[in-house]
Amino acid sequence: MAESFLLAWRALLRGHVLTALLALTALAHLFLPAVVRSDGTDSGGSELFLRVVPGSVYMVLCVALLACACGLVARARESHRLALTVVRPVSAGAVVLGPLMALVAVAAVVLAFNAGLTCARGGWPDSRHVYVPDLEPPEVAARQMLQEILASTNTSEEVRSTPQHRLLSILIGREADRYEIIRPGGTLELPFPAEAAGASNGVVVRIHFSTRFNLRASLSGEMSFGKWSAAVTNNTQSFLEIPLACAVATSCDPPVVETPKLVFRNTGRSEVMLRPRRDVEVLTPADSFGMNMVRASCEMLCVIAFLCAFGLFLSSALSRPVAIFTALVALTVTEMAPAVLSQCPETLDLPFTDRIGLWLSRGVVFATSAVAAPEPVSDLATGTYVKWADVGRAFLVDAVVAPLALLSLAAFIVRRRASASR
Amino acid sequence: MSEPVIEIVGLRKTFRDFWMRPVAEAVRGIDLSVERGDVFGLLGPNGSGKSTTIKMVLGLLAPSGGTIRLFGQPPRARAARARLGYLPELSYLHPFLTARETIRYYAGLSSLDRRTARARTAELLARVGLESVADRAVGGFSKGMARRVALAAALVSNPELLILDEPTSGLDPIGTRDVKELIRTLAKDGVTVLMTSHLLADTEDVCTKIAILSQGRVAACGRTADLLTRTQDARFTVEGLAEDEARALADELSRRYGKPVAFDHPSVPLEKFFAEAVGAARG
Repeated sequence: MAESFLLAWRALLRGHVLTALLALTALAHLFLPAVVRSDGTDSGGSELFLRVVPGSVYMVLCVALLACACGLVARARESHRLALTVVRPVSAGAVVLGPLMALVAVAAVVLAFNAGLTCARGGWPDSRHVYVPDLEPPEVAARQMLQEILASTNTSEEVRSTPQHRLLSILIGREADRYEIIRPGGTLELPFPAEAAGASNGVVVRIHFSTRFNLRASLSGEMSFGKWSAAVTNNTQSFLEIPLACAVATSCDPPVVETPKLVFRNTGRSEVMLRPRRDVEVLTPADSFGMNMVRASCEMLCVIAFLCAFGLFLSSALSRPVAIFTALVALTVTEMAPAVLSQCPETLDLPFTDRIGLWLSRGVVFATSAVAAPEPVSDLATGTYVKWADVGRAFLVDAVVAPLALLSLAAFIVRRRASASR
Repeated sequence: MSEPVIEIVGLRKTFRDFWMRPVAEAVRGIDLSVERGDVFGLLGPNGSGKSTTIKMVLGLLAPSGGTIRLFGQPPRARAARARLGYLPELSYLHPFLTARETIRYYAGLSSLDRRTARARTAELLARVGLESVADRAVGGFSKGMARRVALAAALVSNPELLILDEPTSGLDPIGTRDVKELIRTLAKDGVTVLMTSHLLADTEDVCTKIAILSQGRVAACGRTADLLTRTQDARFTVEGLAEDEARALADELSRRYGKPVAFDHPSVPLEKFFAEAVGAARG
């Protein structure tokens, strides 16, 4: 394997792939910040920079290395060099594993450069743990709702004749987006995982209120979370970050609470609404931006390893242009499918052709959910602490299991198709 | 008698399209046996099945029927591949590698340890006359130089069986002579060589055995000397005989045996003459 690694590494190095990627990274850091405009706030500026600059570098790296991977085996086969390699006492697995290691090494160098340039700018906010309400999965509530709908005598024939799995799918979507209404004087209690109450200071609630009719309705309320509390007086129709202060004079050491609750009391005169599964998060301090960048870069590297393995697999079976085309289409479809599902919820009156699109999107999301789970750019931009557990999971799935499966197939194909022509 | 290095029995290859319909029957039942130390020439016109046979021997194509054994093992067996060296028809080198790196790369693929690989690379670079350009990228090499690098790469693992596809293709006459000399030396050292060539003179010069393929079948096979020698005729070479003396001798022989006698003057092979001329010019 060392030989095929060294060969691919030299090809990437002497073919100026690494140089070009490093130059593009430097150019992105030099020029993109001048092109994009933030919303004027510090946090908005940071988020936009991180999404655009390191995000673009990551995207370019994914596409460029995927295209390189698509060419490596196919080009070797088409130029008959693969035949010269496989007649030696070398396993086909090593023939495809070496190039993967070389591509990952190139990605590691570029990502390290990217991380270094990003951190060198300085002034980034520390990362924060993000906790969402500890609610039962929407499927549970949706199933219960479905039973009630089917048991009700008022249910229309159209609904009854609809397949139950489709009804369930619609109800799950609605449950995930369900609004809780908090009337004047009323309270909303949301349970959070115990770790959320583990911080001794710097607890922040990120929340997004909606009002039913009046977009400018004033908001007034009190929020408490264990020993912390804050007054809520503003509604900008966007996410608010409300820092909680210690309500007890003696100490705000973390309380031992099994299920801490975030309580909001509406002291205003208007009804306010929020979606418990989407609009509320408790943020607690985690660690430095630099460490978060390291973990996010590790996740990026794992995803790139998977993409390169996918490219090498395609390259072993298809010609170079067909492999590149197939890979880019697959990448685009994988990126688009979740957006299709979130933008087009299923409804009863959805035309059949649209439903086919939804089924396909669901299929793509299902098939790629394991390898597409890491969202390093988004986490980095929002300051969300990237958990080591998630990095480990990405390593296992994206950098070990999935690539090994793909490379095993590629090795099998290489053994059978080493000769380019008959 | 020792086990043959290559044993081919009833070998057939039919190429099929995507729907598994037969498209071409390239090899139609070949039986061959190559013994240790043989320099075996596989000859035939284009489309006779030479390349397909070589690819099957190398394990790059699976036969449709029949069997191939290399050292008593299937061609794809790792142990068989470890004893094999291959020089393809075109050199197919990685243009961004230097000559040294290319040979080291193939040494690594043949599982040679670092020290041995380094020593063997230096030895082969000297043997093919490329020491002075060892650290230049092979992408800038002439066809002949690239051929020498490819030959060195084929020899790097000290193979017991060397498969050469058009080994002198692209070489100048001196390079051709060197390669033929190298093949003879290797054969003397016990290396078995299976080669194909369209240059019949080269094949005749180095091959101890030949098989002529035509339309996927063996048209003729045997020891080169046995196949080419016409034992019913005789030819004499008398040094220092003048034209009129030779004519008189021919007449005498014709009269004595009652058969027509022809004579000619031997000529030096062009390859030898060329080498001598170039050698003289270089001083």
